[in-house]
Amino acid sequence: MIQFDNLSKRYPGGFEALRNVSFKMDAGEMAFLTGHSGAGKSTLLKLLMLMERPTSGNLLINGKNLNRLSNSQIPMYRRQVGVVFQNHQLLLDRSVFDNVALPLQVSGYPASEVGRRVRAALDGVGLLDKEQQKPMALSGGEQQRVGIARAVVHKPRILLADEPTGNLDPQLSTEIMALFRRFQSVGVTVLIATHDISLINRMQLRIMRLEDGELTDDGGGYGGY
Amino acid sequence: MAATDNNRDANQRGASGQKLSFSHRWRGYKSHHRTTLRTSFKKMLQEPLQTILTVMVIAIALTLPAALYLTVDNVQQLGSNFESSAQITVFVQKGAKTEAIQGLEQQLTAMPAVASVDYISAQQALLEFKALSGFGSALRYLEDNPLPAIFLVQPRVEGEIDLGETKKVVDAISGLPVVEDVQIDMAWLQRLHSLIEMGHKIVLALGITLGIGVLLVIGNTIRLAIESRRDEIIVVKLVGGTNAYVRRPFLYTGLLLGLLGALIASIMLFSCLLWMSSSIENLASLYQSQYRIEGLGVGGFFTLMLLGAVFGLGGAWIAVSRHLRDIEPR
Repeated sequence: MIQFDNLSKRYPGGFEALRNVSFKMDAGEMAFLTGHSGAGKSTLLKLLMLMERPTSGNLLINGKNLNRLSNSQIPMYRRQVGVVFQNHQLLLDRSVFDNVALPLQVSGYPASEVGRRVRAALDGVGLLDKEQQKPMALSGGEQQRVGIARAVVHKPRILLADEPTGNLDPQLSTEIMALFRRFQSVGVTVLIATHDISLINRMQLRIMRLEDGELTDDGGGYGGY
Repeated sequence: MAATDNNRDANQRGASGQKLSFSHRWRGYKSHHRTTLRTSFKKMLQEPLQTILTVMVIAIALTLPAALYLTVDNVQQLGSNFESSAQITVFVQKGAKTEAIQGLEQQLTAMPAVASVDYISAQQALLEFKALSGFGSALRYLEDNPLPAIFLVQPRVEGEIDLGETKKVVDAISGLPVVEDVQIDMAWLQRLHSLIEMGHKIVLALGITLGIGVLLVIGNTIRLAIESRRDEIIVVKLVGGTNAYVRRPFLYTGLLLGLLGALIASIMLFSCLLWMSSSIENLASLYQSQYRIEGLGVGGFFTLMLLGAVFGLGGAWIAVSRHLRDIEPR
């Protein structure tokens, strides 16, 4: 589903955020991406979101080379991807419902369909009763779950998460990981960038480690750190 | 993915985000336009001061050239009222025979460019002169009638007066037998015409200048709106919103601003005319004229609204194409 092929990213100014990164993820696979701040995790996710373009190398999604997508095709590509942001990027002047509905409205779903799917997604994260509230009225964990509902409401084939458990307590983190597991079980490819060691240790999952832009470790199992 | 399809619950079945039927899409598109229009309107109401300022500037910028246009238009109307007095006076040679005069009348009437011909004999002219001038008693000392017989020729006028055509008629009449002289006061008509032409040019120049002003004002308002919705634009782009989708609310805002401006401009013009019309009627009655001032009319109203819409959309388009490109998720 996701294939990095000898990919490098150098920013103007000479900083090399990623160096010859190669890996593959199958459909329905779930993996952690870890490493220190500045090791290249965010850059890797940005490349997957087409917020950045690689300097060299190829990035293939479902066999399609993203380098060949023109700027006008980017929106169509992004509709296949769901992203959970570290700072959850919710629109504070809109209700929870409207926030989650955004990816569907953007894709042109009619209102009736939007309502049905948004409620299904909110039900999935256990926030069905909060749909009319504004994000500010919710707790940190709830906001993060709204962000997850928005990331999956349009049934993406790829789910990316950037520090999804950033400032949550262990119990909430576990709940959120359980949510990701559920999406994986219906065939979504899930990639979670995190440096939450305890979280990684609790889950038996593939771990990819970035160090100074290079992929130094790619393997499964316990205590990959 | 196929292997796990069976596990999906009813909500998830067959729900690959990309597969949407055309009619679904069309319905979604229509309802999206409706909601965008509604939210654009709401956002404008949320910042009433900014909205009112922008709308008033647009309204004034549209009112000025429109008012000048109406003035020129009315002067032109007035001018064409005077065209009826643009008659040609044909002086008959003294001592011309009655048959020759009758022949001249027939020839004049037969001319296609002539609408009507009135004959005033020398005697009639003398009587009129006596009655109107007050020199009646002095005329008694003259041996014979010094006045010539004249024809008052009304040229046929369709629409605007064509001075070239009128000149041709004058030349043709001059060439006829027993015609002593032909007179027409064309100079003031010419002056009026060039004045009207100048008026039209001023309207155009003013319209273009203020039109550019309207574009800039709307552009600036939209730029501020874009700035204040920066976060929203970034999120929309991240979840796959196209540029057209992002652009749309701002284009609607521009359109609404332009239309509101044009509406208020129409109201201002209408009030001005209402305010002026009584004094103009007074003035007209002093001149024994049936002249009535011409307003904007239905056509003019729609033209103004169309102009407002075009300027609104145009200004928004300029702002959007300049500033939206800068806002990309980073």
